[in-house]
Amino acid sequence: MEIYEVHDYLRTVCPDLHITRGEYDEDTRYLETKTLTIGQFKLGVCHGHQVIPWGDLESLAMLQRQLDVDILVTGHTHQFTAYKHEAGVVINPGSATGAFSSITYDVNPSFVLMDIDGLRVVVYVYELIDGEVKVDKIDFKKTTTSTNLTH
Amino acid sequence: MVPINAAKLETASCSGSSRRFGDLRGVQWRIDLGILPSSPSASIDDLRRVTANSRRRYAALRRQLLVDPHVPKDGSSSPDPVMDNPLSQNPDSMWGRFFRNAELERMVDQDLTRLYPERGGYFQTSGCQGMLRRILLLWCLRHPEYGYRQGMHELLAPLLYVLHVDVERLSEVRKNYDDHFADKFDGFSFHENDLSYKFDFKKFSESMEDDNGFENSSAKASSLSELDPEIQTIVLLSDAYGAEGELGLVLSDKFMEHDAYSMFDSLMSGAGGGAVAMAEFFSPSPFRNSYSGFPPVIEASAALYHLLSIVDSSLHNHLIELGVEPQYFALRWLRVLFGREFSLEDLLLVWDEIFACENTKSNKTVDDESNFGVLESPRGAFICAFAVSMILNLRSSLLATENATVCLQRLLNFPNDVNLEKLLAKAKSLHALALEANNSISLPIQSGPYEGRKSTVTRGHSLSLDATSPRTPLNMVANSYWEEKWRVLHEEEENKQGAVEEQVPTRKKGWSERVRLRLSRTESDPTPSKKNERTKLPRPSVRRSLLEDLERQLGLDEDKDIDGQDSTEVNGQDVTDKNYENASSAAGSEDNSSNFSDATDLIRGNSDNENESERSSVASNSLIDENDAESSCGTTNPECSSLPISDPPDGLSSKCTQNDDSLEKLLVGAKERKLLSGKFQWLWKFGRNAAGEGTSERRSAPEDAKACNGESDQNNVVAVSTADGCDRSSETSKGETVDQNLMVSLKNLGQSMLDNIQVIESVFQQDRGQTGSLENFSKNGLVGKGQVTAMAALKELRKISNLLSEM
Repeated sequence: MEIYEVHDYLRTVCPDLHITRGEYDEDTRYLETKTLTIGQFKLGVCHGHQVIPWGDLESLAMLQRQLDVDILVTGHTHQFTAYKHEAGVVINPGSATGAFSSITYDVNPSFVLMDIDGLRVVVYVYELIDGEVKVDKIDFKKTTTSTNLTH
Repeated sequence: MVPINAAKLETASCSGSSRRFGDLRGVQWRIDLGILPSSPSASIDDLRRVTANSRRRYAALRRQLLVDPHVPKDGSSSPDPVMDNPLSQNPDSMWGRFFRNAELERMVDQDLTRLYPERGGYFQTSGCQGMLRRILLLWCLRHPEYGYRQGMHELLAPLLYVLHVDVERLSEVRKNYDDHFADKFDGFSFHENDLSYKFDFKKFSESMEDDNGFENSSAKASSLSELDPEIQTIVLLSDAYGAEGELGLVLSDKFMEHDAYSMFDSLMSGAGGGAVAMAEFFSPSPFRNSYSGFPPVIEASAALYHLLSIVDSSLHNHLIELGVEPQYFALRWLRVLFGREFSLEDLLLVWDEIFACENTKSNKTVDDESNFGVLESPRGAFICAFAVSMILNLRSSLLATENATVCLQRLLNFPNDVNLEKLLAKAKSLHALALEANNSISLPIQSGPYEGRKSTVTRGHSLSLDATSPRTPLNMVANSYWEEKWRVLHEEEENKQGAVEEQVPTRKKGWSERVRLRLSRTESDPTPSKKNERTKLPRPSVRRSLLEDLERQLGLDEDKDIDGQDSTEVNGQDVTDKNYENASSAAGSEDNSSNFSDATDLIRGNSDNENESERSSVASNSLIDENDAESSCGTTNPECSSLPISDPPDGLSSKCTQNDDSLEKLLVGAKERKLLSGKFQWLWKFGRNAAGEGTSERRSAPEDAKACNGESDQNNVVAVSTADGCDRSSETSKGETVDQNLMVSLKNLGQSMLDNIQVIESVFQQDRGQTGSLENFSKNGLVGKGQVTAMAALKELRKISNLLSEM
């Protein structure tokens, strides 16, 4: 049951942990989707293998509207993507370990740091490309009245 | 320029600067700390300008250092994400700074939440907390070499508090004298006398009165100069139209943070060139050019103990022996400037005094090796003096215990009900001493701030007395209360020796009466049996009671002179108990603390001379009593209730002769001594008289005890009268050579005492025909009880003499 070891290890890093079920997870403890509120933002978490076509923006946007969240965090493709559309932001941080994926060639390990500060989100993307860490930054601002996100 | 109304010109104790803002602590402290100009000629406008400048500096600092990493500074170039991401290891990155600040802030908050909980009404409000947090953060960011240490917040809090009090005062004044502050011109009109406006004017003036109606007592002074001077000052300081406008309002609510920061900065950094920088007390590393290589706070604690050793060496030694190192309690005292030992109001008074002292380092070109940095400025010296005054306040309870933990507990839980004025007064009196104390250090500060110095401190002290003779503070030193006691005791020891040689088997009646008059019940006495009667007692008990009487008298005399000084008799007992360490531990009483300062002042005054003379005369009395106890001469004088002797008279005569011999020996020694002070003159004359009488005695060759006694009685009377005469005529000059002579003469006395004891013992042995040891005496059934107790008394004397000769 290695999953619990990893789970516990992650818990020691930060006690505030949110996990959703992946493609091969059989543990019913983990949910398919999860929503949480951080600051002024509503976030949704979903692994993404449930949404087909995998990695498709419109389908994910549909899910986002369903969950009624500003930011949707997905995965499964092991590829970093960040989409912005009128309803919100979809972020796929990619694979932190660079694990094999059947749909992506040359998986580069990547992860994302989101700095949520009031109505503003700054996303720092860390990617390991050719042995070097590349950092990128994306800003998102939310207007109070609507959920429209502007750059 | 508005002329200054220097209303509050009280002279400060330390620096002599005018306390013209005495009631406005915020302003006064800013002057003392060097933020505002301190010269009396500084105008209000000058003050305002300086205030404004310091506030500008703070605002700039704040803007610069309190960084928000999200907002790009200039807006144009966002920082490079590679460098400036939250995980960046780059120390220059904004995020790095942000996280460091956050860490600092966390530490500060930990302390702030616990600040003055009993006064949470002000200190726990979010506004105040926010200000404190920012000030501390900014200071620590500005001085990264110190970082934030616990206790800094406690230094800052009272500073902010006094500013707050000032602002409240201002708002009170504003309420009462509103017309000087507000621009109420609506009611003003040139058409007052116009009838058409009359009605309106009346209505308006009524409404005006309604507004101010409830303050009927407040002066409706129309012009500024009619106001109370202090109110005037307040008005001028907070006039919005003065120099620098709003930024220059010296008492301002809006800029409290700025002002508090400047005060804190000045206090911590020592205001540029000052000797006492509180920040140093927080740093674990030694002073920039530390002489001792110790952290400054350790050095300052050592300075404290050094001052204590000068002022009160017995307490100092006691603490050293118990192993109570100064930094255990002084660390807390010094780091927060006594903030934890007093309530806030008391603390403000203490800080008034501390800040009133100037902080300029005196450039003494003394030997750099052994200077205490903290004592180099008047302010630092006052801090030390105040700390010593606090220790002295606890004197009796500290001396009463032999347990280091209890001592520390006492020191760390300083009582709440102390008389602060007394403490401050004492500190002021010690202040000059503290300033001089730097010069009297002749000891290199070795490794281990205190171990190496334990034994050398007292010796060093006496050395320093020799070396620096003309300095007045050392006269004060010599005059310190317990020094007196010690010296008096030594004198009495000497006199005792002198009298031993002096063959005085009996006393005159007048003597015993005088002695009896002096007797009174004393509080505690380590010796179990204590009898007050002096007449017709059986010999053994008389002997012991006489010894006790001696002790009592030594203590009593002090009691007579100074009220309620119980430990004095303890001192007397010391000598006879031959246990100097238990000086006051056994019998220390609580009254000491309250009477202490009185007593010291008393000592310092003219009563000195009187005490001296009285003490010496009593000493001579008691010595002669002592002599009676010792002598086994057949004293059959019933009046004096001295010992009914069972020895045959021939023993007496032989002893007399032997005593005479030793007496002459002593006299020779006495003449050899350099008797400079008047205190010794009488002893010398005493000895001389004794010599004269002694020779006459030999000539007369008495065969009955009475004759011998009679002669020696005369001797005593003569001697006493001369002693008294001498003392009253001679001034006691507290020269350093006194101590030297003391040592030498003590040694001599110890030796001669031993000789005499041997003589007496041999007499006993002769009488009994015993060749065994002294112990055999007691076992021998034929030996009278009196003999045994006599031997016991002799043994005690032997011990005394041993101790004396060891000195």
